Amino acid sequence: MLMRSKLRVSTLRDIKSTFGRFAAILAIIALGVGFFSGVRITTPAMVRTLGGFMEDHELFDYRIVSTLGWEESDVETLRGRKDVRAAEGAYALDIMFKDDYGNAPVMKVHSLTEKVNVPEILEGRLPENDSECVMDGKTSYKLGDVLYVNPENEEDTLEKFKPREVTVVGLIYSPAYVHFERGTTSLGNGTINGFVYMNKGAFDMEAYSELYIKLDHELEVYSDEYNDYMAEREDSWEKAAEDAAEDRYDSIVSDAEDELADGRKKLEDAREEGQQKLDDARAELDDAKEELDKAAKKLSDAEKEIADGEKEIADNEKKLKDAKVTLDDSEKQLANGKYQLDNAWAQLAASKAQIDANEKKLTDGEAALAKAQAELDEGASQLKAGLAEIETQYAALNEQNAQFMAEYGEYLEMIDMLPPEQAEQITTAKAQIDGGFAQLDAAKSELLVKQEELTAGQAELDAQKATLAEGRKQLEAGKAQYAQGYAKYNASWAEYQSGKAKLDSGRYEYNDGVKKLADGKKELENGKKEYEDGKAEYEEGLKEYEDGEAEYEDGLTSFDEEIAQAEQELADGEKELHDLKKPDVFLLDRNTNIGYACFENDSSIVGKLAKVFPVFFILVAALVCITTMSRMVEERRTQIGTLKALGYSESAIMSKFTIYAGSAALLGWSIGYALGTYIFPQVIWLNYKLMYIELDVEYLFDWKLALLAGLVSLLCSVGAAWLSCRYELSETAAELMRPKSPKAGKRVLLEYFPSIWNRMKFLHKVSIRNIFRYKKRFFMMVVGISGCTALLLTGFGMSDSVGDFAVVQYEEIVTADASVTYSSDDNGDMPGELKEKLESTGATHADLYAGSWDLVTKDAVKSISLMAPVDFSELKGSMNFNKPDGSKIDPPTGDEALVSISIMQRYGVKEGDTITLRDENMRVMEFTVKAVFDNHVYNYVFIPYDSIEKQLGEKFGLNEAYVNFPENTDVYQAQTDIAKLKCVKNLSLFEDLKKRMTDSMASLDYVVLLVIICAALLAFIVLYNLTNINITEREREIATIKVLGFFKKETSAYVLRENLFLTGLGIIVGLILGNMLLHFVMSYLVVDMVCFKERILMKSYLFSIGLTIVFNLAVNLVMENKLEKINMAESLKSVE
Amino acid sequence: MSAFVEFKNVKKTYKTGEVEIQALKDASFEIEKGEFCVIVGASGAGKTTILNILGGMDTLTSGSVTLDGREISKFGKKELTAYRRYDIGFVFQFYNLVQNLTAKENVELAAQICKDPLDAEEVLKQVGLGERMKNFPAQLSGGEQQRVAIARALAKNPKLLLCDEPTGALDYNTGKAVLKLLQDTCRKSGMTVVVITHNSALAAMADRIITVKSGTVESMRMNTEIVDVENIEW
Repeated sequence: MLMRSKLRVSTLRDIKSTFGRFAAILAIIALGVGFFSGVRITTPAMVRTLGGFMEDHELFDYRIVSTLGWEESDVETLRGRKDVRAAEGAYALDIMFKDDYGNAPVMKVHSLTEKVNVPEILEGRLPENDSECVMDGKTSYKLGDVLYVNPENEEDTLEKFKPREVTVVGLIYSPAYVHFERGTTSLGNGTINGFVYMNKGAFDMEAYSELYIKLDHELEVYSDEYNDYMAEREDSWEKAAEDAAEDRYDSIVSDAEDELADGRKKLEDAREEGQQKLDDARAELDDAKEELDKAAKKLSDAEKEIADGEKEIADNEKKLKDAKVTLDDSEKQLANGKYQLDNAWAQLAASKAQIDANEKKLTDGEAALAKAQAELDEGASQLKAGLAEIETQYAALNEQNAQFMAEYGEYLEMIDMLPPEQAEQITTAKAQIDGGFAQLDAAKSELLVKQEELTAGQAELDAQKATLAEGRKQLEAGKAQYAQGYAKYNASWAEYQSGKAKLDSGRYEYNDGVKKLADGKKELENGKKEYEDGKAEYEEGLKEYEDGEAEYEDGLTSFDEEIAQAEQELADGEKELHDLKKPDVFLLDRNTNIGYACFENDSSIVGKLAKVFPVFFILVAALVCITTMSRMVEERRTQIGTLKALGYSESAIMSKFTIYAGSAALLGWSIGYALGTYIFPQVIWLNYKLMYIELDVEYLFDWKLALLAGLVSLLCSVGAAWLSCRYELSETAAELMRPKSPKAGKRVLLEYFPSIWNRMKFLHKVSIRNIFRYKKRFFMMVVGISGCTALLLTGFGMSDSVGDFAVVQYEEIVTADASVTYSSDDNGDMPGELKEKLESTGATHADLYAGSWDLVTKDAVKSISLMAPVDFSELKGSMNFNKPDGSKIDPPTGDEALVSISIMQRYGVKEGDTITLRDENMRVMEFTVKAVFDNHVYNYVFIPYDSIEKQLGEKFGLNEAYVNFPENTDVYQAQTDIAKLKCVKNLSLFEDLKKRMTDSMASLDYVVLLVIICAALLAFIVLYNLTNINITEREREIATIKVLGFFKKETSAYVLRENLFLTGLGIIVGLILGNMLLHFVMSYLVVDMVCFKERILMKSYLFSIGLTIVFNLAVNLVMENKLEKINMAESLKSVE
Repeated sequence: MSAFVEFKNVKKTYKTGEVEIQALKDASFEIEKGEFCVIVGASGAGKTTILNILGGMDTLTSGSVTLDGREISKFGKKELTAYRRYDIGFVFQFYNLVQNLTAKENVELAAQICKDPLDAEEVLKQVGLGERMKNFPAQLSGGEQQRVAIARALAKNPKLLLCDEPTGALDYNTGKAVLKLLQDTCRKSGMTVVVITHNSALAAMADRIITVKSGTVESMRMNTEIVDVENIEW
């Protein structure tokens, strides 16, 4: 025991004294184990983390959707199957919302399920009412945020979803949404921004949108057991799903038939009822009309009446006024009458007296008159006698005058010519006759005057007589008049009295009339008011009537319309029922879930790398161990001999070395395993966290892996120690104690070419010879350095190949801005509205038919994207067809096809081959491959559009277009505008696709980073260890040249020049190896739908070389110090 | 004028942790140009320390060392390297040939860094290895290897040839032959040769004998009866 323990002490001292070496073994083992186990554990750890989440939260095993939806009874039926743990129906709607942040997100709104897809609540709680929701935890919404249902949603959607505002009460992760992709939708810009879970009450849908099944198992996700389990059930479940859908179909059909019959009956009822109502309304309206007419007539009568009344009143007023005047006049007259009467009475009295006086006077006058008459009659008789005498005188003078005139008449005329005595005699004669005449005229005139006086007297007397007669007459008349006046007076009095009475009654009447007039006026006013009211009422009534009429008309039209619509609806319903296809039912397993499928793919990338890299690390670790241990054994040669001589057993001696190496390996293994299995998943998960839900990666301890790594590391180290010792131990103690004869110098091949060799600098020759002197070290060095370069190159190359594939795809191959999918119009062309929209933005488009077809090969059926452009020349600027070597490809014609390189790589399709394409209806087309074109994303087959019609005799509508917007277009705006169109199903921008794909491949960046770091560590360890060995091995030589007077730089150059040379050689080999390794890695790195273009950029070469050189220089720097420390006195020591 | 080599009150103390070891307490001696000097002493007496200091491989704690009028004890690291390079030729007990180089190349290794080297082939012929120039050390016997080592030292055309137990690893006759070569070299080319040995018998062939004991120079004397190597027995 004691012996043993001393040996242990010796081992411990060895470790201490050769710590660099020990550390090298430890580090390389740690690195190897760390890388190996880290990379190995990452995929399982990630799967455990995310898969565990999915398992714990009961991710569905089947999601069954049917074109007809599901009812609770369907759910019930399927729940009855014996392998079911839970079956639940759920609603799902894509809804556009608006939020308070100015966004209009499209959300997938699900109804909560209880036993399937159980959400993990991160914050908050589950909804308690129908306007609360739990929100996608990957979005930026917070508790309390409110989403408003966008009124731009389709009516159908708005009908199906009850609340108009939804409050976020919880943030969740859902096992159905572990990936950040939320899928696509026909709404908005085609992207779903998040999901929301709500209570079922928030939905108003007649059928469940989907049916979730969780089977009764606890199998690990992605595991073969799970896949087998599911495969076993697939057929039976498919049938069950179809049966359920069939039942649903039948029930829908019978329900619909019932409903239709019901509807028809209802329609009839409604029609009758409606008609009845309409008729009633008509009658009512007619009545109303009649009434209104009556009212109108009444009104017009009233109006007339009022006018009459008014006139009457005016008349009456006038009459009254007149009456008043009359009355007043009458009164005045009466008063006047009275006065006159009174006067008349007085006159009457006076007249009586005068009459009496006049009678007397008359009688007196008559008496006087009779006396005067008698006197006059006497004067008349005297006058008569005087006149008769004058007349006789006259007669005598007239005879004288007649004799004179007869004698002298002629002379009178000639008077002036006659002698004056004769003229005087004649003139005296004449004057005597004229005098006689004048005396007779005078007597006659006197008698005439007396006659006249007598006539006058007579006249006067007659006058007086007449006057008296008149007086008498007058008196008599006076008397009569008086009597008459009296009578008249009496009559007037009576008249007056009656007038007075009349007046009084007239006044009374008048007053009455006034009063009546006032009343009448009032009445008229009332009447007027009444009339106005009546009129208003009438107008109202009329309006009402008109309204009623309009309403009736409306009612009639709408009734007709409604009936027509109902009939149409019924007809539609009938047609629909008639057209109702048997439902398409889809039994969707987990692989159709984006998160589940993506994660399997994404996580396996690391797993695939796990198969390649660790081997390399383990190989290098083994080599490092072997060189280190064999050097150590060589150094301890004398010691081994001594121990052997002392009687230690071979195994005991060997244990010294195996323990040394083993302990380093075990330490390295534990450190490496711990760090590797911790750091790798953590670092790689960092990136997955961005794409998946942010869970903390679980630490997974895998005993098997740990044991495997331990075994491998022990095999490397202890095995190396054993191998190294085995040879030495076979020698005898004596041999061992003698210094081993130094390895002989050897000429190198180059020396046989003196032309080169002789021209080389002396010290370079030395280096070259040294390089080739130690084959093992040379090999190790080259392996180590080339490994480092190769790893770096592979890492960068992966980044180049993978990181840029999307960039290459969407910048060099697909150069269009967007692709738009749409439903073709009836002619199978692009709908006009889309065409116009595109043209209005100035965009160009290349139209094509795109569909998913199966490529049928001997061993496999693979879904490919069939693209049939109408005109290949339109694709210029949208899609570039180049052969992998870069040469252009001419468009295919007839039955020629272009296939993407991925199809060639995976299914061995070559130029000139015939490929068979098949669609879901088993229609088959055949094409000759014209060329294989370079393409990274999707498996494409391009064919001429007309070939489909030619081969199938059927036209396929255009449904996709590559779109190129003019420069400076706001493509996102254009996207929203175009996506709004009804016919547009989706518009995706290639820029977005590029970004998304680049992002999803970013996981590799971390892998690349890890690879680079590990490569650096590897390079450093290998270089350090080998240089270290190189130096310790040649310590004596180095001391010697130092003694010889080599300067510091010369000394380092003497030793490290070899390193530089080996580094150079290692780099060259490494570049070759790197290319091979990259090819190998890339062949493992198969991602569905994506074909990476394996390539290494110049800068990656430069980086790989540069980094290798930098590591080398760093090691050299460390080593220079070590050289500096070598004591020259070493050279004096004996060989051990 | 001082001597060619002068050691004056040289002290050398090694420190290992707390322990101080006085390798040289107070050593003083001098060697004249062209002399064949033997420094003799038992193991641990301090002769290797003297050699190290004289060869510019180690520094001293106090005192002074001069060679050809230059004070080595004041040299810095780089000067010491130059000193070793141009002024000193060193012959090791275990030859210290570079195994990967042929005899000639080993000589050239030293010669090519000197200012005024001798022709490698010439020197090798001088040491009697004209026929074996292209052989690797492993193909040569111990004596031959030591000859190569001597040739390597001589080719540098140094001022001082230092030999550390040159015969230590050789058999008796070969050792003698080597010593003879050294002596002849000294005589013929007037090279100052210092041989360090524990074998006092060798002192007889020296011009000057310096005896070291316990870190001091016990005695230094000129040999009046120089014996030829052939006649020395040990």
